[in-house]
Amino acid sequence: MSVHWTEISLSIALLAPTVGAQTAGVELFEKKIRPVLAGKCYACHSSKLKAPMGGLVLDTKSGLLRGGDTGPAIVPGKPAESRLLEALKYIDPQLQMPPSGKLGDAVVADFTEWIASGAPDPREDRSSTPRSAGAQGMSIEAGRKWWAFQPVRELPAPKVKGSEWARKKIDFFLLSQLEQKGVAPSPAADARTLIRRAFLDLHGLRPTYEEVEAFARDSRPDAYEQLIDRLLASPHYGERWGRYWLDVARYAEDNPTSEATNPPYPYAWRYRDWVIEAVNQDIPYDRFVKLQLAADQMPEATRSDLRALGFLGTAPVYHKDARLSKEVIETLASDDWDERVDAVTRGLLGLTVACARCHDHKFDPITTKDYYGLASVFASTAAVLRPIRDIDPETEKRFLWVQQRLIHLDYLEKLMKGEPGTKPDEAAKKAEKFRAEIEQLKQEMESVRGRYPELVKYVAKFGTEATRRRRGDGPPPNEPFINAVYDAGLWVDGSDPDLTLMDYRPGTSRDLPVFLRGSVSSPGEPAPRRFLSVLSGPDDAPFRKGSGRLELAQSIFDDGSPLAARLIVNRVWAWHFGKPLAGTPSDFGTQGEKPSHPELLDDLASRFIANGWSFKWLHREIMLSAAYQQASAPRADGESADPNNRLLWRMNPRRMDIEAFRDSILQASGTLDTAMYGPSTDLEVATNERRTVYAKISRSRLHAILRLYDFSDPSQHSPGRDLTTTPLQQLFVFNSPFLQEHAAALARRVEGEADAGEQVRKLYRMVLARDPSGDEVDLALTYLARGTLPHYTQALLSTNEFIFWP
Amino acid sequence: MNQRISRRAWISSLCGGFGAVGLSAAMRGPGPHFTPKAKHVIFLFMTGGPSQMDLFDPKPALAKYEGQRPPSVDLRTERVTGGLLPSPFSFAKYGRGGVDVSELLPNIAATIDEICVLRSVYTFNPTHTPARNLIHSGNIAATRPSMGAWISYGLGTENENLPAFVVLSPSATGGSLWRAGFLPAEHQGTHFNHSEAEPDKMIRYLRNTQLDREGQRRQLDLVQALNRKHHDSFGADAFLEGRIQAMETAYRMQMAASDVFDLRKEPEPVRTEYGTTPFANGCLLARRLVESGVRYVHLYYGQGQVWDDHKEINKNLRERCPDMDKASAALIRDLKRRGLLDETLIVWGGEFGRTPVSENGDGRDHNPYGFTMWMAGAGIRGGMAYGATDEFGFKAVEDRVSIHDLHATILHQLGLDHEKLTYRYAGRDFRLTDVHGTVIQDILA
Repeated sequence: MSVHWTEISLSIALLAPTVGAQTAGVELFEKKIRPVLAGKCYACHSSKLKAPMGGLVLDTKSGLLRGGDTGPAIVPGKPAESRLLEALKYIDPQLQMPPSGKLGDAVVADFTEWIASGAPDPREDRSSTPRSAGAQGMSIEAGRKWWAFQPVRELPAPKVKGSEWARKKIDFFLLSQLEQKGVAPSPAADARTLIRRAFLDLHGLRPTYEEVEAFARDSRPDAYEQLIDRLLASPHYGERWGRYWLDVARYAEDNPTSEATNPPYPYAWRYRDWVIEAVNQDIPYDRFVKLQLAADQMPEATRSDLRALGFLGTAPVYHKDARLSKEVIETLASDDWDERVDAVTRGLLGLTVACARCHDHKFDPITTKDYYGLASVFASTAAVLRPIRDIDPETEKRFLWVQQRLIHLDYLEKLMKGEPGTKPDEAAKKAEKFRAEIEQLKQEMESVRGRYPELVKYVAKFGTEATRRRRGDGPPPNEPFINAVYDAGLWVDGSDPDLTLMDYRPGTSRDLPVFLRGSVSSPGEPAPRRFLSVLSGPDDAPFRKGSGRLELAQSIFDDGSPLAARLIVNRVWAWHFGKPLAGTPSDFGTQGEKPSHPELLDDLASRFIANGWSFKWLHREIMLSAAYQQASAPRADGESADPNNRLLWRMNPRRMDIEAFRDSILQASGTLDTAMYGPSTDLEVATNERRTVYAKISRSRLHAILRLYDFSDPSQHSPGRDLTTTPLQQLFVFNSPFLQEHAAALARRVEGEADAGEQVRKLYRMVLARDPSGDEVDLALTYLARGTLPHYTQALLSTNEFIFWP
Repeated sequence: MNQRISRRAWISSLCGGFGAVGLSAAMRGPGPHFTPKAKHVIFLFMTGGPSQMDLFDPKPALAKYEGQRPPSVDLRTERVTGGLLPSPFSFAKYGRGGVDVSELLPNIAATIDEICVLRSVYTFNPTHTPARNLIHSGNIAATRPSMGAWISYGLGTENENLPAFVVLSPSATGGSLWRAGFLPAEHQGTHFNHSEAEPDKMIRYLRNTQLDREGQRRQLDLVQALNRKHHDSFGADAFLEGRIQAMETAYRMQMAASDVFDLRKEPEPVRTEYGTTPFANGCLLARRLVESGVRYVHLYYGQGQVWDDHKEINKNLRERCPDMDKASAALIRDLKRRGLLDETLIVWGGEFGRTPVSENGDGRDHNPYGFTMWMAGAGIRGGMAYGATDEFGFKAVEDRVSIHDLHATILHQLGLDHEKLTYRYAGRDFRLTDVHGTVIQDILA
């Protein structure tokens, strides 16, 4: 229906007769056409209006050509095909403009002449943003040629002059560009820097003095390689790299507003633990993702793998007050689905599909039909608690529905009893009815008491005071459940005028229509569950198995594999180097930044796939490169040629993130609790000395320290953290009990030393894993002459050197 | 006047001698786009949704049709509602514009010539959280940056020793309301508990409980000596340099903030004028913050949804209004005396209003369809009422003001074009006003 702007421009160009005629046409426009448009049409059809009538804008050139909801207003050169003229002529009773009355025949004649002459229009567009719903950035066909969608392939290493520098294939790609720009790479970092870099990178912890010295002394040619292998084999590796993934997965344990219908996720930590385990086991990335989307539909997955479903099962959900209208509730539900579409497409595909909720994507080849095709998958997927142990499928399916129903009924009953409103009799009757169903469902679950007592125990609380929420405390986090999902479509039931009910239908999928302009009250054409058309082959069929989660996951690694591989390789690159190859890690569309080294990204992504999507392979490939092992010190020639270090003429120096910083403080003070896994612990609790990855992550009350140090907002997918340096962080460093107490603990570690000089030497080893210089000892002794040891240790923990990641 | 200059000069003298690294980049935003009227905003947020029919929007028809339920009030709200509930409070016309104000608000009535009452505001959601998200961030989901973050991003800060966006709330919950969202984290609101009068109870980690100033300086000198050695050996680096400076700023901030936040430094007559309730403390503190260069102060009236009067509304309003009235009016008068009202925009209101029909007999339900807010100072026409609700006060019908219009107008007074203040994220340019919003030209002086 909609005509492409580019095509019209082209046709204007072809039609434009001669320059002279064009000038005459412009004159005609200025004298006869523009005054009529301005006087008769702009009041309803102006780009300055929030909602121009019929989506038609006549005060810009592009608006006139693009037309409104029913198509183009004019076809230059073809008066007979121009709807604007038809409207002016008052022939069609449905299309008569202006509504105030037919304009004179002379005016109609002017418009006819002007359109016939190619409709020259000298107006400059004030805004390039198209307003009509039909506007589209890139066609699917054109989109299929976009770089990020092309197959990845292994490429020959480029020829370089200084090949002796290179240690891995990626070095050749980097060096080739460096040589073209005439910038030399930096020399290798010294052994002490290198081991520190590798430890922080793979474990988020600092090496001990002894480890540093042993490595510095190790003269074996493969000492560094062995170090990397050792670090990759340690479970601390999963704690570090699992946390990176949790940012992508916007991991948290509650909702932005934790209210009656969107309570916290008490077993979210089991998903976090699964991620850590999976990373440590080096589960191939494709499988890693598939399990998170559809572990319950993968025949070879174990029950324990269902923990992976926390990716969807702990996703943010908005409160749905049953007293709101059906439309409002449906909108809130569609906001939930939107979040899933966004997390999956930006997180796993680098596409901003959520832009296509109200209109076709303005820049990328993504339609509203694509959007709703994916949203339908999530409209057919419901978040539930699933038992952690094996259970027969029929019992489970029934239990999951009963559970959802009980949660809903319990909420409704309490609502009707607690706030009966002005129809107390009706409310009481409803409460009775809800109560009866609660009892009936609980009774039904009694039948599995023998086999699955935990299910009976779980349902017992419904209809009692035990489900009433008290601020801050949820159910005990150790019950044998996981926050997961199952296939059940959600319908919103508006049949009761006072209460909007949720209707979950297990095993039934809900295909949404396209909601025109994003409004749930304007359903358009159906949008069956399916994958993005630009990534699918010509035979793209709708998903058929249940919600389609597994097919979606398979499509990502089938049709979408080049994109998925490029995306994750780029992310891993950024986590190693501090900066990605492609500057927008979650947007590989036309508005994203193109990679600085496209061949390198392609080659690495292709070999990543060939090596079984193995993260550990990728870490080795990157960390064993000469580029990674470079010094990070600034160099004048590099700064002037490439100030942003796009070419990687040095390693990027960084500061630690909050996890590494906090864990390193605990480690230096000798108090770090290295126990792995288990329910989360509150950072507010002074005795919490566990690694930060085990901290409680809240969407409603993200802990102040996490916020202070730029932790990603867990309410939405985050492309990466933006690390800031602020005075408030320094107040934490100098004045917080956390720093002061751990500085004191650190001081206690050296209390027994013979003299202050020895204490300082030990402290340098514990905090900075090196010996102090003479100057540094002097500074320390001067300070200690008047200051206390704990204040001195706090100073050491406060230094730039401590938080720096060179 | 002199006092203002001297304090501001004193505070800015503290940040002299800074290099161009790190912090200074955050000082300036992409704005302003044109000459601003306002340099600062104080938002007096009445959490829960105050009742327009009892405060600013008199509706005699409520008494006439008491208890009835004409079809025009059959609008769906959050709860079940009954018949029309008249206001027991009398209204009179005040100021040069003859603006109606309830007997509950004598002090606001007396300053009405500075105030523009917006009687036709509407929002899109009848539930607290989404409506609150909308008024804070332009969107019902809790994901977008808060208005204060947008303003911090747009204009930067005037005082490196204080955050640009300050939140005053007796409770730390609701952090998502002052989020930076996808904007850089430095723009997030910094929360202080204004129900305390002593600075170190308000600001986490402001006071070093172990070292006096001299001891702190010695410790910091040691750290900085080590930092400089480290910096020299590594080479020029923006982070290393930025952190050295941030430490100095933090050190000075302890003193600056201690001064700004210490209400005990206000003369007794001024404190008496505001009152000594938590909200009064907040208003006074807001003035002191604005005076010290803070861009945006978001002050929550109290803990929780205070104005959410589902029952016993008349009794509640009688108890609650005197404090709000006294402190709000004192803030206007005080800013005016100090010559600050011309550059400070005050915005008053909640996430929605209340229904003209009763709930539980003596309460009022949430009303997103039409409610009252007011603005004062910084180029807003005082002594006028703008827009109107229907005869019962349920729905805005004349000169309707959406939350996006309100945001567009606030930004406009700050010299920011709401269509130009954009941030590129997730593939598109985001705005506080999304794709909506029109500046309310008729209320501008």
